Amino acid sequence: MYSSFFLAWYQLSHNKVKLAVAAAGVVVAVMLMLVQLGIRQGAMDNSVAVARRVTADLVVVSPRTKTIFASAQFPRRLLYRIGSSDDVVEIGEMYMGQGRFRNPWDKLEFPVSIYGINPHSPMMNLPGIERFADQLELTDRVLFDSLSRKSYGPVGKYLNEHGPLNVEVNLRKIQLIDSIEVGISINSDGNLFMSPANFQRMFPDRQSGSVDLGLIRLKDGANPEEVRDQLSHYVGREAKVLTRDQLIEAEIQFIRENAPIDFIFGMGAAIGFFIGFVVVYQILYTEVTNHMPQYATLKAMGFSDQYLLRMVVSQALILSLLGYFPGFVLALGLYRVATNAIQMQFSMTFGRAVGVFMLTMVMCGLSAMIAIRKVKTADPADVF
Amino acid sequence: MTDTPAARPVISSRHVNFWFGEGDLQKQALFDVTMEVAAGEIVLLTGPSGSGKTTLLTLIGALRKVRDGELDVLSRSLHTASMHELVDVRREIGFIFQQHNLLPFMTARQNVELMFQLHPNVSHSEASRLTVELLTSVGLSDRLDYFPARLSGGQKQRVAVARALVTSPKLILADEPTAALDSHSGRDVVMLLQELARSRNCPILMVTHDPRILDIADRVINMEDGRVHKVE
Repeated sequence: MYSSFFLAWYQLSHNKVKLAVAAAGVVVAVMLMLVQLGIRQGAMDNSVAVARRVTADLVVVSPRTKTIFASAQFPRRLLYRIGSSDDVVEIGEMYMGQGRFRNPWDKLEFPVSIYGINPHSPMMNLPGIERFADQLELTDRVLFDSLSRKSYGPVGKYLNEHGPLNVEVNLRKIQLIDSIEVGISINSDGNLFMSPANFQRMFPDRQSGSVDLGLIRLKDGANPEEVRDQLSHYVGREAKVLTRDQLIEAEIQFIRENAPIDFIFGMGAAIGFFIGFVVVYQILYTEVTNHMPQYATLKAMGFSDQYLLRMVVSQALILSLLGYFPGFVLALGLYRVATNAIQMQFSMTFGRAVGVFMLTMVMCGLSAMIAIRKVKTADPADVF
Repeated sequence: MTDTPAARPVISSRHVNFWFGEGDLQKQALFDVTMEVAAGEIVLLTGPSGSGKTTLLTLIGALRKVRDGELDVLSRSLHTASMHELVDVRREIGFIFQQHNLLPFMTARQNVELMFQLHPNVSHSEASRLTVELLTSVGLSDRLDYFPARLSGGQKQRVAVARALVTSPKLILADEPTAALDSHSGRDVVMLLQELARSRNCPILMVTHDPRILDIADRVINMEDGRVHKVE
């Protein structure tokens, strides 16, 4: 009838302002944890987005390459050796470089990622590029990524409304014929896609015989691991053959080691946890301290320590529930704001929602555990 | 006094000594206290402060463990009882304190009804019926759903009386229940307590300084320097 849980609720809800403050503390903590962990995941996902877009079964990279965003080149002739394997159906090459895109509106230059790739068979997930394949074979015809940052000017909008747009990239006049939607990352603010021939025109200083990435499609039923081992002998020590999964794994590894994403956002989440812990502890502790005579009285009348302990733990539980759901909704809102502001995709995952819920429980539980020690000191003999 | 169970004293203290602290800091508070309270009796415990009367009350109320001597309360030997058994004994005693110590976040009704949490065999409807009945008999039928903050001192102490009595305890222990009240409402509360206890044949042991309420007692035990000084 008056379980410790109801008593906890009466005690918490008696002072509405206090309850609101306590819940707000948890809301902030939950929101911080969700947002920090969400951005961490988003930054990570975006960083390996290019690697994830590869649809080839195997890739060839230079043994010096640590990440495809700063790849070393290897001789193209190595790719011709690979064609001798019976399991290989198709070999493609990909060139990557950083160019300078001059915003046609404010005339300022911004760095842009440039991809040279066979538009007829890119072996990359670039939705819609085949539609423009024939056009892209023409000299200085280029596709724009409409998800690029706004620093390049309203290019996507212009292309939609007015058609092709002449711009300057690497001091060379090119024509943007249209746009596709690919997406950017922390490594690149915008993307341009073009044929390997046009890529060479854009980077005249590069050796025409070296490529950044070799893309290999295997025939159906071929085992990528086995073929990889076989092909490794063909290319020798001048290049490395990786499966698609290895490439993604290597990218994730590179980000982990070289970008302090885990540390920065992990720290942010930890601070959120700490804030929540301190706020909840403060509230629970003052509640206990202010009610010491009453708690001692309850003990004198025959209420057990456990009853009072459950009461404090219940308060922690109520606070974590009251804080979690508003915090969750706020975090969803912030994901949307962040997605719009920096044009990177941030989304809630079930795992993160559950994980942070657990963390919130632990946070409030820990606070309760410490506040409880005070309850145990309530001595019923002191009431008299 | 015969040895038949019905006439067995509710409280029986034999040669109880009690001291606080250990070693050099040891300070004895009770010396060889022997006293009894019979069923249905109202006994006042008086004496100057520091005479050990409150200490005796905490021992009888199973709030402290007996260190030396024998103490039987409600047919249980507290000198041999475990901590768990002590808590059980407390549940059969109605306590009234100097301060009302009502839970500020619960109404008068809830504060009284809460006591049934310790008596889960009483049904919910029975509990609320008894609660209303008792609050009515202490004159608070129109204050059932008031929070303690909106009640006067006398009213709060009357809620505390109702809380102590509602689960039909076999013994009432009161510690200066009038100390925080003015003389008029103090006397009201004690008269009320006496009346309710008499009608239930429930014995009361009350510590008090207040000479104005000595007349309600069957017996007065006077203590001084930790010893029973005089029984009137």
